[in-house]
Order: sequence, then C-alpha cells, then structure tokens
Amino acid sequence: MKPLTINFRSKAAQTIGDEQVQNSLEHVYTGFYQGRINAASDTPNWEELRTKGKAIKDHTIAHLDHYLDMFSEKVEQSGGTVFFADNAEEARQYITELAKDRDIETVIKSKSMVSEEMSLAENMNDSGFETIETDLGEYIIQLAGETPYHLIAPAVHKSRKDVAELLDEDFTDGDRVPDATELTMLAREQLRDVFARADMSVTGVNFAVAESGSIVLVTNEGNGRMSTSVPRIHVAVMGMEKIVPSIQDLSTMLRILIRSATGQRISTYVTMVNGPKTPDEEEGPEEFHVVIMNNGRLKLLKDPLLRESLNCIRCGACLNACPVYRKVGGHAYGWVYPGPIGAIVTPVITGLKDATNLPAASSLCGACHEACPVKINIPRMLLELRHKTAEGLSDPDERTSKFVERAIWKTWRIGMMGRGRFDWGARLAYLFMRPFSINGWIKKAPPPISGWTVSRDFPLIAGKSLKYRLKHRHKKEI
Amino acid sequence: MADKVSFIKQVTKALGRTNITRPKDNYDTAIFEDRNLARANAAQAVADANSMAASLIDQMVQSADDAGWKVHRTDNYEESAELIVGICKDHNAKSVLRSAHSVLTDIPIDRALAASGTVLEVTEHSSQSSNRHIEKSKAAAFNADVGITGVDYAIAETGTVVLHPRAGVSRLLSLAPPTHIAVLRPGDVLASLDELFAIQRDDFLNGKLQGSMNLISGPSKTADIEGTTVTGIHGPLEVHLIVIENNKY
Repeated sequence: MKPLTINFRSKAAQTIGDEQVQNSLEHVYTGFYQGRINAASDTPNWEELRTKGKAIKDHTIAHLDHYLDMFSEKVEQSGGTVFFADNAEEARQYITELAKDRDIETVIKSKSMVSEEMSLAENMNDSGFETIETDLGEYIIQLAGETPYHLIAPAVHKSRKDVAELLDEDFTDGDRVPDATELTMLAREQLRDVFARADMSVTGVNFAVAESGSIVLVTNEGNGRMSTSVPRIHVAVMGMEKIVPSIQDLSTMLRILIRSATGQRISTYVTMVNGPKTPDEEEGPEEFHVVIMNNGRLKLLKDPLLRESLNCIRCGACLNACPVYRKVGGHAYGWVYPGPIGAIVTPVITGLKDATNLPAASSLCGACHEACPVKINIPRMLLELRHKTAEGLSDPDERTSKFVERAIWKTWRIGMMGRGRFDWGARLAYLFMRPFSINGWIKKAPPPISGWTVSRDFPLIAGKSLKYRLKHRHKKEI
Repeated sequence: MADKVSFIKQVTKALGRTNITRPKDNYDTAIFEDRNLARANAAQAVADANSMAASLIDQMVQSADDAGWKVHRTDNYEESAELIVGICKDHNAKSVLRSAHSVLTDIPIDRALAASGTVLEVTEHSSQSSNRHIEKSKAAAFNADVGITGVDYAIAETGTVVLHPRAGVSRLLSLAPPTHIAVLRPGDVLASLDELFAIQRDDFLNGKLQGSMNLISGPSKTADIEGTTVTGIHGPLEVHLIVIENNKY
C-alpha cells in the first residue's frame, strides 16, 4: 500500500469536520474501549497476565532469529512450505505465482493487516484472480474501494445507509435503511457462494508457534475457519514478529489479545493449524504455505529504542484508548497501521520524512501505554521519533527540521540558560511583538507564527518582568 | 528473493549478534519446561477434568450460556436424542449431518431421527478421497440444515467446545450448516485454556498433535456494521449444547 502519511493534517481536519464519521468513531469508544476495561476488571490476574505477555514477547523478539529458524523448520517438517519475503513486493509475487501455477480461480481473503501492506486483494484481482475479502468489515471496505479504518473494525466509519448502498445495487435514496441484521444476512448470502467455490485462501496469523510450526487464527465471524476448511490451498501471511515460542504460551497470549481487542473472554472461533490436512481427512487444504515478511521491520528491530514496537499483537486497544485517534480517525495516519502504534511503526517502515506529523499527533497522555496488553511504552517511542525528526543525524532522511527552525531553538536554548540573557531576550521579544498586539493579545501574526494564532491567541510578553517590578515596588515601600 | 539463511542472518545482525544463539533457559515461556513437567501438567489436567467433572459441568453450562450457546441439560441418552430431534423439527430440518463421534452412536439419535422422517447422513471417512468425493462432502455440508458433533474437550472458563477435525469429524460440519448441535459428556470439561494447551503441548512432545483444532464459543457473530452485534454471519446462526450428566445406562 502506498503511504500517504504526508496528508495527515488535511485528512485529520476532514474527519474532524465530518459529523457522521465522528458519531461512528464513538462506537470505538463505547464498544471496544469500555469492553476492554470491563473485561480487564473481570479478570482477577489481569496485571499478571500483561506482565507475562510482555515477558514472552520481550524474550521472543530478543531471540527472533532462533525462533524464526525453529518455526520455519517445523512448518516444513509437518508438510508446509515457508517463504521468506524481504518486502511486500516479493510476498505478493510469491502468492500470485502460486495462484497462477495451481490454476486458481477464486481466492478468499480473511482479515490480515500484513496483506494490506501488499495491497494483495487489489493486485490479485488485477492479475485476473477473483479475490474477495470475507471479513464483513473488509468486504464492505473492498466494495467501497477504501482501506481499513481500524485494526479490528475496518468499516467502523460506515453508516448502515453506506453499507446498504454498497451491498445492494438496487438500494435507492428513498428506501428504508435496513437494520444491521438484515445487512449482515445479505452479506452472508453473497459470501456463501464465494466460500463454496473458493480454491485458495489467504489469511493472516495471530500467533505462530515456533516449537510446533503451528499458526493460530482468532475470528468471530467464521471466515477464518472457512479459509482453513474449503480451499485446497491455504496461504498464511505474517510479519516476522508474530512468533511465540511454545504451544503453552498461547493461553496467556489469547487471553490478553481477545480481551484487549473486543472485551470478549474468548472470540467465537480460535483455529489452530498444524500443517496441511491429514491424509484421512476429506476437507481441508492440501497445501499449506506460510509467508514470513520483513518489509521494514528490521529497521524497528535494529534500533534498541524502537524494538519494543515489535511486541505488538495488533489488538487495537491503543487506538480505542487514544483521544487523538478517536477524533482524527484511521485514514489520517496514511498507511496500514493507524493510531498510537501506527504512529511508531508507519513512520519507520514508510519513511519518517513524510510522516513527522504522526509521532507529533499525541498529547503523550499515556492512555495507550496503560491499555497495551503487552505494556508497550508507546509514548516513550513517540518522543524518540520526535527526537529523530529534530536531531536524527544518522540518516539525513530522518532529520526533517529546517535549518532556520533548528537555529531558532538553539538560540532559545542559549537564551534560557542565563538570567541576563533571558531578561535581554524577553525585552527583545516584547519590542518585536508589541506592534502586532491589541489590548495585550496577539490575535493575528504574520507567518510562520500565524500557524499558532490561527486557532489560539497569544498573550503579549510583559514589558517589565516580575523580578523588575518586585524590585521597584520594594524600593517604593521603603 | 530472500532465502531463509540470508533472511535470518539479517535478523541476527539487527539483534547485534553474529550467530544464532540458543536462548538461555527463561521460564517466562513454557518452551523451557522439560518433558516430564509437560507430561505431569497434562496428566493433572485430565485427572482434574474427571475428579471435578460435576462442578466443571456447572461452570461450563454457565459460561456456555454467556457465550451464546443454547444449553440443554439431560441425564439420559434417550432424552438427549429426543432433544436433538426436537431442535431439528423446530428448524424444519430436511437434511441432517452428523460426525462419527462415539457419543453419537451411543445415544439413539439415528433411530430417533429416522422415526421423525429426517434424512440423516454420517460423515464417515471413505478411503478413496477422490476429488469427486471431496466435492460431494463439501456440498453435503453446505446443504445441510443441521450439523451434529460430539465434543473433544470443553473449556469451563470460556464456554468453549474444542473439536479436532479428523476422519469422521469434518471441518465444515460445525461451520457450514446454519444450526450446530454439540453433545457433551461429563469428564471432557477442562477448567481453562491453560489445561487445554498443556494437553496440546504434551501431545505435541509425544508426536501426537492433531492436524488442526477449532475452539468454538457460541454462534458466529460480527459487529462490523455500526458496532451492532449480529449473530450468524459465516458460521451457524444458532448453536446448541446438549449436556449429558450422570448417564443412566
């Protein structure tokens, strides 16, 4: 997917001004945010589980090479095929070639953020394979020609009327808007036929178990199960960070993932795939392929200060907790991963130069850190990325601040470091600002300061400092 | 194209090392547990399921109800067969498919359904799984009104039914028909996910891990349209759990 991070401001402004989308974003809060809070408080050892989840992920990422080696070996031992892809292009090519080679006609896609990195459905359709998203939210998004709005609820910004127009060609403006159940049943009918004839599936991976070469899928709708039951070929795509070492680690990881994602104790379906179908089974994929993708994740791994972001299990809790995400929405972030975790992952993977607004779009309130089931310290990393945009010297692409901007702040720093310099600077600022002020306030300033005054007033710096005034009052009183 | 070796080499390098090093024992993850402990954990899980069967059934019934199962408790086989016939009749079922779970041959379900005039098919494995055969079996699952299975394990913590697809237990049986009925016997209820994965791990270490596993906790659902939860999207719209306790033989 082509990154559009540079449009953050305009996209955010557009969303904030859209009343319907603002209402939809409320569902994120009332549904998912409250759901997680309730689920966590109903789980007596919740903090213990988070600590354990973090320990499992910290350990795995610190030995990712070892566990990737183990995982791929085990998948092959149980009759699967592993493909390592350096980037989205390679992964896409592998899957397309596979489809060509096996004379595939219909591909069903289950929800996968990694496949969004490849724009897989779009590309497969262009290559002549009927490729259909089967998660209801993703299906709606595909019909609309858009990208997911939320990690868990891709179509959260669509109203029932929007959905009716997308699903039903005959729906016209005057018609009664069907309720959610009617619309869901309509989609069920449409997708049933697709499931029955699919000969290949592409799914994501929630967890990949190193010791057994298993993959685990978490779904509520059942499309993940269809994908692992009907077609003769199953391709699972994953970011290289999705590993957990042992089968037994799954109980902890599933508990924290599902509660954090939707507030459920467990999702309707959890599917564990340990290889292609066994010889005595009638249904099930004869071929099982796992595509393990890097696509910029090495940059996160390389940087000890950003490595923690690879602990992410994509539950979406930080999005739901974020006061900024809940206003600017998912599309503003300009790539696959929105919200607080996206503000770290997206700039590093797609380039910080265009994405400086992402780490800046946070009040550092810490709600994301508090919500994260594996305790990722997101605010710390947002600060780290802000530091990189200002000072990142290792990569000129990272340092996006202009020379003048840096010069101003350097001067500011010098000015703040001595009382005499401070007094002198304040006096100078007063003289400079006074012509623009009305009754002690600056309401409209020339650029570049107009960027501030467009939405705020700036008080005129006092002509005489507090220290000066105190000193002179003291003299008078004596 | 990245081959495995060079891909992993890059990862090693990014971690600041030159070779893959085996991690030191770290009990945050169960991978470092020894086989004997894994075996003991699994044995304990099975023993608990039997010794606490009655209380685990009560918990299971409660959490299955929370998860959206329609739960029916019965204490004999005859009645459970009648319950199943009743559900099939309620749905006007013309075609019913059942798995080869032994519980479904123990209860007189075939006879009861035949008496009610419903067409019952059993998904039993035929060794010649030709393409035609597979297509036929798929079509049967998509066309069935009701799918009936046993339960390999249940999980009291979450109201979950665990099924291992295998010969006679098709993957689609509990998924494609709009109604799924699962029949649970006492002794198969585990306390929590911990016990289930302890058993899976022990099976794995003994080379007995099944090809796949499905955890089913209620009817298929979605909240993708305006955050409204709707039951029944790609899987069953309705799921029934028949709980047989203290069977009288």
